[in-house]
Amino acid sequence: MSALQTFMLVVDHDKQEARQIAERVAQDVESRKTTLVEIVQSLREYINDEDPLLRGKAVSYLTAVIKALPPKFLTRQQVQVLTTFFCERIEDAGAVAGIESLQKLDRFTKDMAKEVAKALFENFNTLQSRAQSQRFQVYQLLNELMTNHRAVLHEMGDTSLVGTVDLMTGEKDPRNLMLVFSILRAIMVEWDISNHVELLFESVYNYFPITFRPPPNDPYGITAQDLKDRLQDCISSSSQFAPHSIPALLDKLDSTSQNVKKDALHALIACINSYSPDTVARYSITIWETLKFEILNAQEEFLSELSLRALHDIAKRLSEGVTQVSDQLPLAQYLRPITKECNEQLREPQQKQAKPAQEILKAASKASAASFSLVVQVVVAPVLTLYQGAEGLTKQRALLETLTQIFESAITVFGAWTSRTPGAPTENPLLEFKDQFSEIFGQALMSTVKEEVSFRISALRGFLRLSMLRDYFHDSEIGLFVQYLNEILLKEESVGRDDLKKEAIAALAEISKHQPRPIMDITFPAFVATLPDTDDGTHPGYLRTLEILAQISIEKVIFETLVRRLLTKLALLLQKEQPGSAAYPRAILLTIFYVMSQRNLEGDAALDMYYDKIVVSMCRSAATTASGKASNSVLGDSTVLDILGRLCNLIVRSLPRSKQDEVTKNTYTLFAPADEFQPVPFSQSTSEDQQRTMILSTYLLAGLPADSTLPHSISDLLPDLAKRSITKTEPSTQLAILRHIALLVNKFLPKSELSTATGLFDSLLPLNPTTSESQTPADTIKTIFWLSKSLILRLAPTTTQILASLLSLLSSQDETIRTTAARGFAILLKDDDVLSPTNGANIRLLAKQRVFTTLTPLISANIREINTTSSNSNDTRATAVPNEHIKPAHLTALSGILSTISPTLVMPELPTLLPLLLQSLDLQAEDSHAVRAATLQTLSVIIRESGVTIIEKCGHVQSLVSRLLKTAQYKASDAGGKEGLVNGPRLRVDALKCLFLLAQTPNTEDAPAVAKAGKLSPLLPVRNQVLRSLRSVLDDPKRDVRKAAVDARGAWLRGVEDVPEDE
Amino acid sequence: MASEMQNSNPTILDTADLPTRLRPSVSSKTTTYGSEFFAAVLPSLMHGTADPLSDYSPFSSDSEGDGELMEEPIDEQEIYDLISTISDPEHPISLGALAVVSLPDISIKSSLSDVPGSPLRTVTVLITPTITHCSLATVIGLGVRVRLEQSLPPRFRVDVRIKEGTHSTAGEVNKQLADKERVAAALENGTLMGVIAKMLETCQ
Repeated sequence: MSALQTFMLVVDHDKQEARQIAERVAQDVESRKTTLVEIVQSLREYINDEDPLLRGKAVSYLTAVIKALPPKFLTRQQVQVLTTFFCERIEDAGAVAGIESLQKLDRFTKDMAKEVAKALFENFNTLQSRAQSQRFQVYQLLNELMTNHRAVLHEMGDTSLVGTVDLMTGEKDPRNLMLVFSILRAIMVEWDISNHVELLFESVYNYFPITFRPPPNDPYGITAQDLKDRLQDCISSSSQFAPHSIPALLDKLDSTSQNVKKDALHALIACINSYSPDTVARYSITIWETLKFEILNAQEEFLSELSLRALHDIAKRLSEGVTQVSDQLPLAQYLRPITKECNEQLREPQQKQAKPAQEILKAASKASAASFSLVVQVVVAPVLTLYQGAEGLTKQRALLETLTQIFESAITVFGAWTSRTPGAPTENPLLEFKDQFSEIFGQALMSTVKEEVSFRISALRGFLRLSMLRDYFHDSEIGLFVQYLNEILLKEESVGRDDLKKEAIAALAEISKHQPRPIMDITFPAFVATLPDTDDGTHPGYLRTLEILAQISIEKVIFETLVRRLLTKLALLLQKEQPGSAAYPRAILLTIFYVMSQRNLEGDAALDMYYDKIVVSMCRSAATTASGKASNSVLGDSTVLDILGRLCNLIVRSLPRSKQDEVTKNTYTLFAPADEFQPVPFSQSTSEDQQRTMILSTYLLAGLPADSTLPHSISDLLPDLAKRSITKTEPSTQLAILRHIALLVNKFLPKSELSTATGLFDSLLPLNPTTSESQTPADTIKTIFWLSKSLILRLAPTTTQILASLLSLLSSQDETIRTTAARGFAILLKDDDVLSPTNGANIRLLAKQRVFTTLTPLISANIREINTTSSNSNDTRATAVPNEHIKPAHLTALSGILSTISPTLVMPELPTLLPLLLQSLDLQAEDSHAVRAATLQTLSVIIRESGVTIIEKCGHVQSLVSRLLKTAQYKASDAGGKEGLVNGPRLRVDALKCLFLLAQTPNTEDAPAVAKAGKLSPLLPVRNQVLRSLRSVLDDPKRDVRKAAVDARGAWLRGVEDVPEDE
Repeated sequence: MASEMQNSNPTILDTADLPTRLRPSVSSKTTTYGSEFFAAVLPSLMHGTADPLSDYSPFSSDSEGDGELMEEPIDEQEIYDLISTISDPEHPISLGALAVVSLPDISIKSSLSDVPGSPLRTVTVLITPTITHCSLATVIGLGVRVRLEQSLPPRFRVDVRIKEGTHSTAGEVNKQLADKERVAAALENGTLMGVIAKMLETCQ
């Protein structure tokens, strides 16, 4: 059997084999064992057969052989002969592929390309009727010709144009259309299409709008958007289409489908941006007339936004090359009807269509300097006249807002003070109205009844825009505005929610970015002057002032001045014998801390000064205060020390290493000489005052690098500090010591010395419930938990044992131990300000997950055991500790963990967890508020994330809903007492929120359509129960609860259908 | 709606000007560390105390305990808040912004004025259509009615009427809104309920 015959036999079922045959033959040709002529001749037998399948296979054979030949092998003549052969045979399968491989060769000439193109166009009828993949080959061939021999096709002119259109007519396959659109676009852009504009336009516009939806798992990955983009490129490719495209697209805006309207607007915008300005000008007014309705009677916001964009883009295109504004410009003609319509709408500025009119003006005016000045010419003066004659603030207010929109356009066109790029070089047409604006807005802001807050806010916003506009106001005019703002903030009484004051502060902050000078000169002194020297706690008005100062100190100059002034104030205060309340110095320190934390201190030139004045000198003062040698005890207040500590911490972190080492040495001495202050660690007798300085030491330590050489060895420090932490002391001091221990163990202790810490842990256990008065088990438990926290976060090897030991405390016979330990679990994973990533704490990524996955099964097992024993053995009172106490302890511990981990970690454990959560809700007693609150929090996240489905899967819908309803009830506790409510208001609200979420969260969103159709909501069985119970909650004495009940009830009424919709 | 709009350009109030309940301002609440504003830079203070063990009382942080038993009875503002966010069937604008419902036109009275201790209350809401011949007045009235009946406890009777002198056929509409049978029949109508459900969608 010849190679040809074998090929024809196998080609249908074994492509691999067929290719190998062709390759062998190709090798024979190469080694001259046979010739191409012979091969072609061998085809003769089949090539004239009646059966097109046979003919196709024979031609494919030749194609396959050619493909297998090296690219340079064929002579030019051979290529010519083969091309002609294939072109004659183009109707047969395989020929197109043959030409495709031939045209890649260098020896494929222009004439051959022309021959091929002709063959394609002449046979469009046959080619069209082929299968999708073969049509794809045809388009690909044409596309290749377009890429490699475009000049040839271009020369063919109308022939290639009409030919291509004929070839693609009726094409429906998305993959093919992608190719077709890109070929057609090349023709539209480069050919002379004037004879066939309509034909060409119709050929693509037929496909508008695209409604294609890709099948699931589409291997080609073509989206509707891809097709839309290519089609849009075609429609917008040539200005000559405009007479067809623009009316057609505008017609589509009558469609009832939002998507069609959206596509039409997108295409329209594309046309506006690519057609010639002349063409755009010709249709500009027609477009406006149609789009007007889309904006004035907006049904969907996105449609009105797109329409505004179209109007804006037209103005922009028409401004191209415009240097001189005149009435004759196409731009002016376009804007005339627009401004006329808007002016008319603005005559009743409080009505609905005034707002869209403002937006139209803004969109048109911000397009260019030319269109801005054309709009300003005809709009501003009438608005000002209207304003003068307007009765009623609502009208005036809408007019102020109109002007403000125009000011925003001005900022777009001419830039703000801060913008880097220069704005338009022409003169700002608003300059002529400057005095008028200043007067109107000034009056509206300052001479209106104080209660008209929203009116004054509108005036303030307008004034602010003007002050931001580059090269518009003089310093003095901005200064006037700043003065107004000062007055509002310093002199005016509060009105309502103080919205005006909030806006005024924001405005000052904004101005300080653009023009810091007036803020420095006017606002700053005025505000600082109101700060008292001391305060006895009766006039906390300084707080507000400090807040404002903090917010406007964004610019470096202002920031530095503020810090300097405040430090001076503080220094004076610290020397006074009667410094008044500690709240004032604390607020000053807090202000400094606030502004510093908003900046990057590293490399700041003033850092040295901050170090000397704040870290060194204030720490020393604190030390002196602790020894009782200072003039007052301001720095002996624990809250002042806390803020000072945070401030020092911030500075220490930014210091260069040499300075940090200096801090290391002084962590405990606090920069004080030995005769003035006795450092806390290892000192035999320490007063409360002295111990309190540990707050500072802890913050200093936290800011140091982990490889610092501490003044004492950790193995010495730890037992000393642990002893202090379990001895009675002030809570804030104790917390500082606990954090200190945690820092040492977590951040500074090398891995090799971890045994020091675990040794300490073991020495604190087991607990002895009867201890002396100065050492309570509660303090020891705290120490244990903080120590555990520091070890667990770095995932010390003993983590699992530690957790198990902690858990065993929950079954303790002593009630104090049990309840304290239960609460302690919240410490373990809680984010801490000191032991934090910012301070370089060693917090492993998996720590939280590890704790959760270790503890949950253990807690679950313990509780199951408790449940079974208590139901089985009523008579055996052998267990010393009543179960009803151990269970709440476990649930409290669980809630502590839950409240400190991310909800995503919870999801996988849900089947274990859900029963525990439900049991937590059963703790219907007053002292379980915290546990239930944490539980509801977790539940609400679970429901929000995954809806009711997951709860249904665990089979708990009914039990969950009943418990939530029970928690939502207003009910006095059995014990009575005047504050005895079983469910606090917050708890009731939280329970109602969970109920709301249950009905609200779409639970079958991503379920397959089939499952959705026949399935009833899993909430349906409880719907009536919920609606009935909630009806009584609507009468709750608390407003917030009622509101939550209304929302929840509404969601159940709406979201839980009685009958599936399709029935 | 397919039919022509009845009033395509009504007057609109700014949402900032609508009556709201003034809550005791949060920022005035001072903590140990001064204002809420600065607390933003002190993360631990934002979420209660840093040490969960330092405070054993269940009412640890806020003043919840104090106000717990203070009753907040349902008042006119609360009724206004319930219905002012309903959307107009013609525009995507709230009834409050269109001034169809307004605070002075809402009243709550004891249903049995001669029985002083009676918990029964009657809420009267007068609605003002945007134009006097608005055929949608009945639909709006029904919407308000449905919203209130869904959201108020059973001891409240709801009475929705057109404000005198604001509608050409106010008498007819009022009769329809007051007639229990006709209201019930209207609520069985699927299309009508669809419109009302759409109006209530925006309720917050």
